[in-house]
Amino acid sequence: MTLAFVGGSHRTVPMELRERLAFSAEQAAEALRRFRERFPGREGVLLSTCNRVELYAASEHDSAPPAPRQLVDFLAECRGIDAALLTPVLAGENDQAAVHHLFSVASGLDSMVLGEPQIVAQVKQAWALAQEEKTAGPLTGGMFQAALRTAKRVATETAIGRERLSIPSVAVADFASGVFERFDDKRVLLVGAGKMAHETLRYLRDAGARDIVIVNRSMARAEDLAAKLGARAGRFSDLLDELVRADLVVSTTGATEPVVTLEMFTGAERRRGGRPLLVLDLAMPRDFDPRIGTRPGVWLYSIDDLGAACDANRKTRQREMPGALAIVEEETRRFMGDLHHRSSAPVIEQLRAGWTETGESELDRLFRRLPELDETARAEIRQSFQRYAAKLLHSPLTSLRNESHSGPPHGLLDALRRLFDLKD
Amino acid sequence: MADFISRISVVCFAASYAVALACEGSRLLFRSGIRGAVMVGFAAAGMIAHTLFLGWRAANEPAVPLSSAYDWYLLAAWLLAFGSLWLTVANPRTPTGLFMLPLVLGLIGAAEMSSRTPFPQSPATQVWGAIHGSFNLAASVAVAFGAIAGMMWLIQAGRLARKQAPAQGFRMPSLEKLARFTGRSATIAAWTAAAGFASGIVLNAVTSQQGLLESIPWNDPVILRMGGLVAWLITAACLERAASRRPDGPRTTALLSLVSLGVLTLSILWGLFGASRHGAPPRQAGPPQPTAAAAAMLADALPTATPPGPGVIR
Repeated sequence: MTLAFVGGSHRTVPMELRERLAFSAEQAAEALRRFRERFPGREGVLLSTCNRVELYAASEHDSAPPAPRQLVDFLAECRGIDAALLTPVLAGENDQAAVHHLFSVASGLDSMVLGEPQIVAQVKQAWALAQEEKTAGPLTGGMFQAALRTAKRVATETAIGRERLSIPSVAVADFASGVFERFDDKRVLLVGAGKMAHETLRYLRDAGARDIVIVNRSMARAEDLAAKLGARAGRFSDLLDELVRADLVVSTTGATEPVVTLEMFTGAERRRGGRPLLVLDLAMPRDFDPRIGTRPGVWLYSIDDLGAACDANRKTRQREMPGALAIVEEETRRFMGDLHHRSSAPVIEQLRAGWTETGESELDRLFRRLPELDETARAEIRQSFQRYAAKLLHSPLTSLRNESHSGPPHGLLDALRRLFDLKD
Repeated sequence: MADFISRISVVCFAASYAVALACEGSRLLFRSGIRGAVMVGFAAAGMIAHTLFLGWRAANEPAVPLSSAYDWYLLAAWLLAFGSLWLTVANPRTPTGLFMLPLVLGLIGAAEMSSRTPFPQSPATQVWGAIHGSFNLAASVAVAFGAIAGMMWLIQAGRLARKQAPAQGFRMPSLEKLARFTGRSATIAAWTAAAGFASGIVLNAVTSQQGLLESIPWNDPVILRMGGLVAWLITAACLERAASRRPDGPRTTALLSLVSLGVLTLSILWGLFGASRHGAPPRQAGPPQPTAAAAAMLADALPTATPPGPGVIR
């Protein structure tokens, strides 16, 4: 066993316990300092996000990494939680399973929102913190770099993180951007002050919207919100006039009846000069009469329409899962192959050193017997010896590498030790 | 090098465009990290071969690039291919080539079916001939670009009306951008087609003045179809302008652009398969003059030698 991890996520740890277990950046740094003292010579990386806490440990040399039980106790001690509470909800894995888990996590396959990209930055931060606190090492370094490479492959070779999942993001990126090329010359009308409107406005602002008018039944509330969002407040009685001037409407009132009926809209429509109108009706019940959506030049989307698009995107992400998992499997195999091959490095070094030593002594003997050889001839002969040794070593090294893909090549290493009388 | 360029054939660049089109089409089927590079690579290779081919003809044939129906079609295809490549590089997520490359291949096909015989040239008619051909070329390319934008508008509007998120790898430009592009294309097409027709009349008048033509052949099928095309494009531009302040204006414009492409296609097909004296060698000036009957007999005897250019009125 060389690698180990324990941890829990939204899948296994209840929210109350997750909140107590979570580490701030300072707490994570302190925990890593304690890790270094508690487990000298071992590598450790702590990944703590709002949905998961995971501690990865590794040991490159003969000493094994801390056992999962020790790691659970360590986490419990760091956060002042009874270890008995954590034991049933934290999972532990070793070696290949631990690597597979990290690669899945970094690729967003274990996230609450499948394929979400923020986890990549969090994995990078965890690794950077371990480097700062000097608990990172070659094994965890290789593992985290491979995890980031895997995440990049999953992001570029599959569409798992491409489709948007939140209603405001889908509304702006998939629908508003389909109608309008730019938003900096558009008038945005916000009707009501629902929570979803804030988020939608944030996306619209990011897309360039500047001219925003907020209309609410309570003028004071509209002014308050306008001040917060850098918008202009309008009177609710001017709603139809504002509708004439608007290009995009976001509506989130708590009204129980439609705020804009078809008859009201038809009156405003004549004064719009044929400009297209996009309406994001995020209210429930709806603020805009659905028949308005049948008018030419009007693109009306209710929260159900946008929700259906989000669901379709979610299904698209799910369909990408097998492809993403195949990449994770492939990268895990490659990493474990490299890792196993590293374990054969001392034997290869011994073998190479033994052959070099024998070759050098044979060359010395040869050059003593042939003193007439000049430097050029000696260099040529020396080079031939080196090439010969390298060619002889090539086959065993290739066999070792191939064997490493299916696990540590203990059998071959043992055979080499016995055949060439290599000492441990 | 010259030997290498001389061996470039129409098949070379047509095949490159066809592979680029197949790559574009595969967007609908599967994702690939390298497809974009392969697609641009093939389209660019086709463009280079196409450019070298036209350059070689310009250097080795008399009075190209607009001197025969064959060259006219190939130059129109080159312009569309250039536009396709430009837009693909500028908007890699939009499947522009899927719409433009079939037109490019269609024009190359039309070139292969058209006459390579150069239109007769004289110093007096050369300038007006070039102006006439250039305006008609610009009009045709504007119609093609407008129709592609119109088609994209209808697809995008259909997707938005069905309230569906964009299909994977098939992201269209916004309706606002497409409507603007379609409208401008309609205007440009109408103006340039009208200018092309007018310059054709001037060209005929100059030819007639020099005694190379008895009179302007108003009843020639090419002049009739070109007149019809120009009339339609002007009508379409007027309808587009009238609809621009109506809520359904963009849809009307998109549909008009498709009709314009249909009219242009019919005009080209008529040019390819219909007989005409358009671009036929003018009679020699000075005595002895053939009689009108003899000239008509000559015209009847030479229909296959008269390149049916897509509106290059001589």
